[in-house]
Amino acid sequence: MEPGAEPEVIVVIDDDYAMRLSCIEILSRSGYRVEAFEDGARGLDAVAADKPALILVDLKMPGLSGLEVIARLHEINPIMTVVVITGYATIGTAVEAMNAGAHDVLPKPFSPDELRLVVQRGLERRRLQIEAHRADLEREVQRRRFVTFVTHQLKTPLVAVHQFLDLLQRLGEEPDAPAKRAEWLQRCLVRTEELQRLIEDWLTLAKLEGGALGRHRTRVDLKPLTSNLLAGYQALAASRQVSLNAELPDTPCPVHGDPICLTVLLDNLVANAIQYNRPGGRVCVRATCPPGEVVVTVQDTGAGIPREALPFLFEEFYRVRQPGRVSPEGTGLGLHICRRIVSEMGGTIEVESTEGAGSTFRVRLPAYADAPSTTTSAG
Amino acid sequence: MAATKARVGTKTILVIDDDEDFRTAVRVVLEGEGYAVVAADSGRSGLDSLKRCTPDLVILDVMMETMTEGYGVSEALKLSGEFEAFQNTPVIMVSSIQESPDELFPRAPETDMIRPTSYLTKPLDIPKFLELVRTLLRG
Repeated sequence: MEPGAEPEVIVVIDDDYAMRLSCIEILSRSGYRVEAFEDGARGLDAVAADKPALILVDLKMPGLSGLEVIARLHEINPIMTVVVITGYATIGTAVEAMNAGAHDVLPKPFSPDELRLVVQRGLERRRLQIEAHRADLEREVQRRRFVTFVTHQLKTPLVAVHQFLDLLQRLGEEPDAPAKRAEWLQRCLVRTEELQRLIEDWLTLAKLEGGALGRHRTRVDLKPLTSNLLAGYQALAASRQVSLNAELPDTPCPVHGDPICLTVLLDNLVANAIQYNRPGGRVCVRATCPPGEVVVTVQDTGAGIPREALPFLFEEFYRVRQPGRVSPEGTGLGLHICRRIVSEMGGTIEVESTEGAGSTFRVRLPAYADAPSTTTSAG
Repeated sequence: MAATKARVGTKTILVIDDDEDFRTAVRVVLEGEGYAVVAADSGRSGLDSLKRCTPDLVILDVMMETMTEGYGVSEALKLSGEFEAFQNTPVIMVSSIQESPDELFPRAPETDMIRPTSYLTKPLDIPKFLELVRTLLRG
């Protein structure tokens, strides 16, 4: 027992006077506070009032039997160690007592050392149980906070849409009504798109975490994957007046990975590079194949990322605050998904950024030949 | 909807919310009723704006950059000497999450100190919201 700590309370319930007396004497000397009762009813009252750490209970007593006492003890407090002391110890009674909720059985007669050992063991068990219970509670608090947070993220765009629809319904015939109508409808569209992206990203993340995505590994050449992806983004880039180029080697860039995941990864990086760019800016995607790996960099000429934001950039739901930028910004999940995918594929992702000049994201993935060939689904 | 009716002696309402569209919507509703609106996109900038304006009412979002940022603002208004002048300014706290301050802050005395005057769930029911605004500004 820790010095200065309150002594732990042990309740003894036994109709045998001599037994109660020896338990009190032995356990008091070991530093416990012992309360002894001659029948189940009084014992239970004391347990309810004093919240003991451990209860020693006889099986055969007049009035409530030991087994009945054990059942009621667990109703009072599920985290309480119960040790049965019995003069009729057979395998059968032990099993019966354990089934009723006892944690240990000590056959009578016992030596002081045997009693102390059983009590110590019981208290240690209780300590572990309390620790586990605390950890469970902490996990539950974290989980609830996270659920609240995700709910908030999903509801925010929905609230904006609702609020605008309500305003649209109340809009009268004033001269600026058509302009307002057009603006608010446009915002509704933008926010529903945001909500859709958020749900899609959330689903991607859930699939990655659940293993439904990322399992199907095969040889993927990043060269055609990158060219195809960029072809699909030319129109968006042009509309933003951003030039989108690729510098790819003549040879293939094969990695061992899930083609869908790799597409999601590059898609996120390229979309960000275009989205957070400036008119007249550039996005360049490069791939190189140094020995044993494939390195893909996505470089933009956007606003860059503030230094203080860099450590959190890949965290779930982290968004870089950019004053003056019209919402919605990203979902806050894209780069988190990227990091998950890259680590799933055994690679790394890093970012360099200069505020006002742009950012470069660098992904390193093990080349196909070097990757462990645990799956046979290649080809 | 009525056109803007702002005039001399107009009541000023400070709206602190990190969602631009929500700020816009609240501004449209309040300006339509003739109130002057000052909007801020974070707790910090909301408190900063108190150096330049003297609102008669504050509309305050709970979850902004952090999950309890609104309560930080409320605490500053109620307890910090810097904002003493606004100690009794009514505060309507708004959030899309129905979570009472008592759940967020289990210790009662602290909760009492930073409890908003009223609490509304987003999306705002506009007639009820305006009724509450009128009541608080009258009181």
